[in-house]
Amino acid sequence: MKVKDSPYLRANKPLFQKLLAALLERYPYASILASDIREKSYRVNRVTTSLADGGIFSGRGFVVKVFDGGHWSEHSFNQISEELLPGILEQIGRAAAMAEIALPEGVTAGVYTAPAEEKAVFSGSTDYEVDPDELGDDVILARLNAIKERGLAYSDKVLDCAVRAEWNRTSKLFLSPGKDLQQDVMWTTGGATVIARKGQELKNSYKSISCLGGMELLDRLESGVEKIAATTIELLDSVPIVPGEYECVCTPEVTGMIVHEAFGHGVEMDMFVKDRAQARQFIGRYVASPLVTMHDGACSAPQTGTYFFDDEGVMAHDTVVIDKGVLKTGISDYQSAVALGTEPTGNGRRESYRRKAYTRMTNTWFEGGADSVEDMIASVKDGLLLEDPSSGMEDPKNWGIQCMVNFAREIKDGRLTGRIFSPIVLTGYVPDLLKSITMMSPDVELSGGGFCGKGAKEWVKVSDGGPYIKARIRLG
Amino acid sequence: MIELILNALADLGIDTYRISRTESQSAEAFFVKKRLDLTRRTVLTDYTVSVYRAFGRDGQKLLGACDAPVYPGMTGDEVKEALSSAWHAASFVGNPWYPLYEGRREDFLPSKSGFAGKSPEENLKTMADALFAADTRGDVFLNSAEIFSTRKLHRIVSSGGVDVSWETCEVSGEYVVQCPSPADVETYHQFRCLEPDAASLRADVEKALTRTRDRAAATRPPKAGTYTVILSDEHMRELFSYYLDRSSSGMIYQKYSDFAVGRSVQGDGVQGDAVTVILKAAEPYDGEGIPLRDRTLVEDGVLRAIHGGARCAHYLGIEPTGQYRRIEVPSGSVPLADLKRRPHLYVAAFSDFQMNSLSGHFGGEIRLAYLYDGETVTPVTGGSVNGSILECQKHMTFSRERYSSARYSGPLAVAIEGVAVAGLDG
Repeated sequence: MKVKDSPYLRANKPLFQKLLAALLERYPYASILASDIREKSYRVNRVTTSLADGGIFSGRGFVVKVFDGGHWSEHSFNQISEELLPGILEQIGRAAAMAEIALPEGVTAGVYTAPAEEKAVFSGSTDYEVDPDELGDDVILARLNAIKERGLAYSDKVLDCAVRAEWNRTSKLFLSPGKDLQQDVMWTTGGATVIARKGQELKNSYKSISCLGGMELLDRLESGVEKIAATTIELLDSVPIVPGEYECVCTPEVTGMIVHEAFGHGVEMDMFVKDRAQARQFIGRYVASPLVTMHDGACSAPQTGTYFFDDEGVMAHDTVVIDKGVLKTGISDYQSAVALGTEPTGNGRRESYRRKAYTRMTNTWFEGGADSVEDMIASVKDGLLLEDPSSGMEDPKNWGIQCMVNFAREIKDGRLTGRIFSPIVLTGYVPDLLKSITMMSPDVELSGGGFCGKGAKEWVKVSDGGPYIKARIRLG
Repeated sequence: MIELILNALADLGIDTYRISRTESQSAEAFFVKKRLDLTRRTVLTDYTVSVYRAFGRDGQKLLGACDAPVYPGMTGDEVKEALSSAWHAASFVGNPWYPLYEGRREDFLPSKSGFAGKSPEENLKTMADALFAADTRGDVFLNSAEIFSTRKLHRIVSSGGVDVSWETCEVSGEYVVQCPSPADVETYHQFRCLEPDAASLRADVEKALTRTRDRAAATRPPKAGTYTVILSDEHMRELFSYYLDRSSSGMIYQKYSDFAVGRSVQGDGVQGDAVTVILKAAEPYDGEGIPLRDRTLVEDGVLRAIHGGARCAHYLGIEPTGQYRRIEVPSGSVPLADLKRRPHLYVAAFSDFQMNSLSGHFGGEIRLAYLYDGETVTPVTGGSVNGSILECQKHMTFSRERYSSARYSGPLAVAIEGVAVAGLDG
């Protein structure tokens, strides 16, 4: 079934068109992005149930972007009517006037060339199998509670089992002199975390899953809570790792974190504009093993980073960032592409209508290889299997890695010994890690359970992943 | 709109609710080097409406809750439909019953900040001037900056009698400092100013410029091993988040924490400084409309209070204190210069320093540290700190010098003995 459009956006489209016409009487270029986003989250654990019809992305609102012949400015607002239009135009004027009054000494207003855009009319929506509203809150919570009970029953060492699910239905309308675009997209995520106590220390293991679709995700969420609980119990006997460089096999989730944090942020081309990304000097050069081909794009995979057009009205791409080890291109928002004289790649994304658009990743992943996971583990004489990524931080300028992994399993003479280390911090230099990749499994898995920030803010939904990979990594 | 919501609630027979409204205006500026790249304004009104539904199941009195999606500009019928849907959903959320916080109508509290009474644009200009005033060195400079100047009017109305409103003003943002030589490096910084203290922001930028130049001179990670690690500035707030999180009623109710009032939370045999933490009322009310006042949370390593909202407070049989974001910690007795006399690794910048309050693990990748081996100080970069507060908290010594930010006021630095550091082998 197709995700339905927003009656609110449909009903108010004539008003948006009237506002656009009024803007174009004042400015050489203007665009309007209108959003109507609904999301619902469900959470259960041993002692608490929660349900919220709303989240960080939800709401109805608008952002107007204008070009005054040299300078870009924006106005975000969430009330519109015929009567409010004069006030909205005045606020946009105030935003544009800031180019004169906000300048500290020695700072000048940037000058851009006039934007050029091709004409486009588009309307599209994604598919789903199970409508969350039709399934009902009671059924969703009952199914999450059943998973929770299985997790709690696994062992008397289990302190808690927290299970969650969220769905997001996003409708957007983009209007500019040349464009009339509409999209309706739904994604769903879920996950389970099992917690156990070791003295004052709490250990946990978790699994997040996601899909471009609806509550059909629950079928997948219902399998595997016992495995998560078993891992948590194993973690009670984990010990800190001896810092050093290890031969590592990474699960697809850990591969995804490396793809995203270690490399993906480094090819965001708004960082090229600021001279903040080392990748700019490496276009056309080997930055990874010849085994590595990397994609990013809102239409590169059906996952939580999927859309038809970005928040600046650029259609979605499937960008091959690394081709057989060679860095081919970065990913770009519209304004950065104008500044760099390159083509935008459909990666201009806003946290919401409240925020500025930046270059952001979408679905980011490595292609698969030809090695079986069994052969990869068998090839390791003294190393580790890294599992459960937890967080990471980008460093585009210096290509430093910081990724946190929940635990690592010891591999000796090609076999898992049962010994487990936790927690693990990955560090090092990105090209060193990517060039050290010697094996990759065939199957690619993507997951969009988490969020991506820019610096320490600007959260957007993305997915990342890849195959199992084998590489040398510095761990602490 | 609040009247519209109240009428809809009355029509639907919903007698337990909380409505939060935030009206905000901001001016925003985005700079690339010494070029203004984009200007923005926002004018937004947001509502959060939580509806609560009491019901019984298996002889137990329960209270369900659900937030309703209510947006400005909605008609009365649309609001009613959103509230009705949330009311229905609340019947599936069976938590043990608890009362909402009971308050009363209070006068509007205007902001006492020096930013109050001025436009967001004026405040933005003041702090933008301060930010760029320090950018005079040439060899190390501001690569980019984002500044957000915001004024917010908050109001909370609840069926528990709460009707409070207040104003907040702040200027926040981030900036990146670049030093192209001898190695081309950058450092990332955030700021959040509740007062127009231009001198402090300028001093912070000057410190950031110096540290970025030091990072450009750092060429290698420290050797792997165990160090006395010195942490400072905003990393102090992150370190203390362990005590803040573990003393929350939510963590205690869920048995994630066994902190109890009157008991030591720092372990026995503390050989360094005892921990004292004071909860600071940075705003007059929290999100439930609970009035905030300064409270002693931990005193000399002993827990004095459990903090949190109405729900878990009721379950634990304690007073709801509200949710706090700012803490104060008394100064230590040792000058920072003395902390630095013994061999140590002073980590000035991480890529992302994190405290995991569940496990007690803290750490992060080192972007810049000063390694003192007893004779010389060497800037280093790379490797990571991997500590456990459970193991280290008996061996923490706090500096006499202080550091203050929007979320923390306390010792500038702490020396922690016996922390594992990943770095060069051998």
